[in-house]
Amino acid sequence: MSNELVQFLSVVAPEAIVGTGICVVLLAGLFAGDRARDATYLLSMVTLVAAAWVTGSAAPNGSLTGGAFVVDSLSVVLKMFAYAAVAAVLVYARAYLVGRRMDRSEFHLLVLFALLGIMVMVSAGSFLVMYLGLETLSLALYAMVAVERDAPMGAEAAIKYFVLGAIASGCLLYGISLIYGATGALNFTDVAAALQTTTGARPLAAAVGIGFLVVGIAFKFGAVPFHTWLPDVYQGAPACTTLFVATVPKIAAFSLALRMLGDGLDVLASDWRFLLGAVAIVSVVVGNLIAIAQTSIRRMLAYSTVGHVGFILLGFASGGAEGINAALFYTLVYIVMTMAAFGLVILLSPAGQEADAFDDLRGLNQRSPWFAFLMLLVMVSMIGVPPLAGFWAKWWVLSALLDAGQLSLAIVAVLFSVVGAFYYLRVIWLMYFEPPAMTGARMAPELDLRLLLSVNALLVLGLGVFPGNLLRLCARALGAVSG
Amino acid sequence: MGIVDVIFGFNALVLVASAIGVISSRNTVYAALFLVLSFVTSSILWLLIEAEFLAIVLVLVYVGAVMVLFLFVVMMLDVEVAAVREGFTRYAPFGVIMAGIVVFELLTLFWARASGLPIAAELVRRAPDASNTREIGVALYTNHVFEFELAAFILLLAIVAAIMLTLRSRPGLKAQDVAAQVKVRREDRVRIVKVPAERGE
Amino acid sequence: MLQNYLPVAVFLGVALALGLILLGLGMLLGRGRKDAEKLSAYECGFEAFEDTRMKFDVRYYLVAILFIVFDLEIAFLFPWAVSLDALGLSGLIAMTVFFAVLVVGFIYEWKKGALEWD
Repeated sequence: MSNELVQFLSVVAPEAIVGTGICVVLLAGLFAGDRARDATYLLSMVTLVAAAWVTGSAAPNGSLTGGAFVVDSLSVVLKMFAYAAVAAVLVYARAYLVGRRMDRSEFHLLVLFALLGIMVMVSAGSFLVMYLGLETLSLALYAMVAVERDAPMGAEAAIKYFVLGAIASGCLLYGISLIYGATGALNFTDVAAALQTTTGARPLAAAVGIGFLVVGIAFKFGAVPFHTWLPDVYQGAPACTTLFVATVPKIAAFSLALRMLGDGLDVLASDWRFLLGAVAIVSVVVGNLIAIAQTSIRRMLAYSTVGHVGFILLGFASGGAEGINAALFYTLVYIVMTMAAFGLVILLSPAGQEADAFDDLRGLNQRSPWFAFLMLLVMVSMIGVPPLAGFWAKWWVLSALLDAGQLSLAIVAVLFSVVGAFYYLRVIWLMYFEPPAMTGARMAPELDLRLLLSVNALLVLGLGVFPGNLLRLCARALGAVSG
Repeated sequence: MGIVDVIFGFNALVLVASAIGVISSRNTVYAALFLVLSFVTSSILWLLIEAEFLAIVLVLVYVGAVMVLFLFVVMMLDVEVAAVREGFTRYAPFGVIMAGIVVFELLTLFWARASGLPIAAELVRRAPDASNTREIGVALYTNHVFEFELAAFILLLAIVAAIMLTLRSRPGLKAQDVAAQVKVRREDRVRIVKVPAERGE
Repeated sequence: MLQNYLPVAVFLGVALALGLILLGLGMLLGRGRKDAEKLSAYECGFEAFEDTRMKFDVRYYLVAILFIVFDLEIAFLFPWAVSLDALGLSGLIAMTVFFAVLVVGFIYEWKKGALEWD
């Protein structure tokens, strides 16, 4: 009995720590009153460090009874990355929340809940666990978007996000139920085994299910035609929420796609590759085209996200280990880049205001050459210019596409990345060649924010110059899954 | 045709009719009540396949709690009946397309089922004293205990999010604080002042 | 198995029949001379002030959703109680953890004042 318990705890130890952390942060925020402001921040950080330590020290192979929850090298790498990203979000959000007198303890709480959902999804070994993790994540995100409940834009964004998200969850659940009906199994390995051995109508029902799964995945990633929530949420939510929504959940979305489609339904790969490829290429086209017309920096970044997500999904669609490896690399690089971009938006948002219009970037070079340079790095990386990280991310996705013989997809993707360069270049133009529009607004002075932003943006450069380490890490992480 | 088939047929008919009622009634309160009826009939259908626990939970949770919430929301929204009708023609084509897709998918499913899915052709009938609830309990608290604990956190998140989004403190409210009232002592309220008596002329 | 439900079915049938008979008799035998005043809503003798469809306070919603959370907890408790003898200590631990998490939620709503109505 106690042996079983020890075994159980050794597998779910990181989740247990984050769960305990949630309860502690909740009670601390409740009872510490005004002193809680910093207490919950510190406790959240302690939770992250403890979870990272436990995740790192445990052996990367284990699973719960039946394999509904697995710990493998992929889950360890993704969890570690999630801890780091969440810690960065907390530091970025700190200055922002202080300036706006928002309730910080509840933001920290929701971030930890979302992290728990992400961790569960990353380790999910069955459709049921995956869905529960997804709901934990989504519920936290909906609440986070509406955290400023008296802001009309935030409330509208939250309602749109919630209604569309609930429909997407419903689609996903319906797809899961179809696959369960066809195979009689929920664990990915059992589903794969059941599909392997059968012929006839089973794959058909599973294929219909895959259609619904792809809808759910596309929504959670924010791919066309399920991208409509992205711009509203990016614009309407408080900047610290946008920073979070835009970055860390993509780890979970990657796991959602890889584990459900790659692990569970690999037999039917030709079906979902086709669907994902279609969604992906439309995302690249539409995202990059609509981004040009935006006048808000956040909406522009939202549509640019749609374009990047298209590339990630193209990696999946190309098939083969190399494509998925490229998709993972792209996801991680995307998170680093986007975090830096929204970090700058937070830096530019003076207390009580939101940096939103392009005008806020005007003449940034004169106000602060260093941060203008960092933003330049991020924008150039998003275009995909060597030697920055964004270049390698695009490069490996394209090379995977070419290896798979998908020449036409690769050409369209390259074409529209070039189109996309236009709006990134406009940001650079505004920063360097236009006179500053605002004079009075000062930038957030917090040292930790400035330091983190510098490190974050330089990481984009560093990963670009030395991409090999991250790529090898991705390959090693995936070795356990696709090998 | 046994009695079970008759019960099934009757309840299935009521279910379909009340489901149509949900989407066709103009008054949202009636729609919610139709939904209650469809929940109750589907719980009877679940009883027929011996899924008793699910049947009970459907009535207990959905009819007992979720539908109450629905009615509150409906009444909170203050929906004008006429205004609801306005968008109908505008959204009708979209609705027809969606319905068409769903019908198509259902047809493929029925076809797939006809050509042999592992769905049990005949339900396994259990002994009269077999407890479906007990089986669910054994499965839930042994193999699926991780999912179970995760559900606790989802419920906690629901509590936090609901309170965060809807609870407003109302400053300046003149509420009665019973504890403070009970705790009060004579010295707090009454001050005995010795007033020197006035001397008359 | 289904035979066990025969009493329930009989009970449902009787309830349905009784309700129909009472309503039907009332309609058949009652004389019911209706006019506009009789059919209008009765509000303590005044003219009705406003429509019945007034907006409810959002606090009802909060109470309802908190009720659902604990209602679901009961739904989890029910199969647990039925199968506890087969579960042993591990089942007890599992439910203790579940409850501990929800007690934290209960403390949260209490301390936040979500259970107050003022």
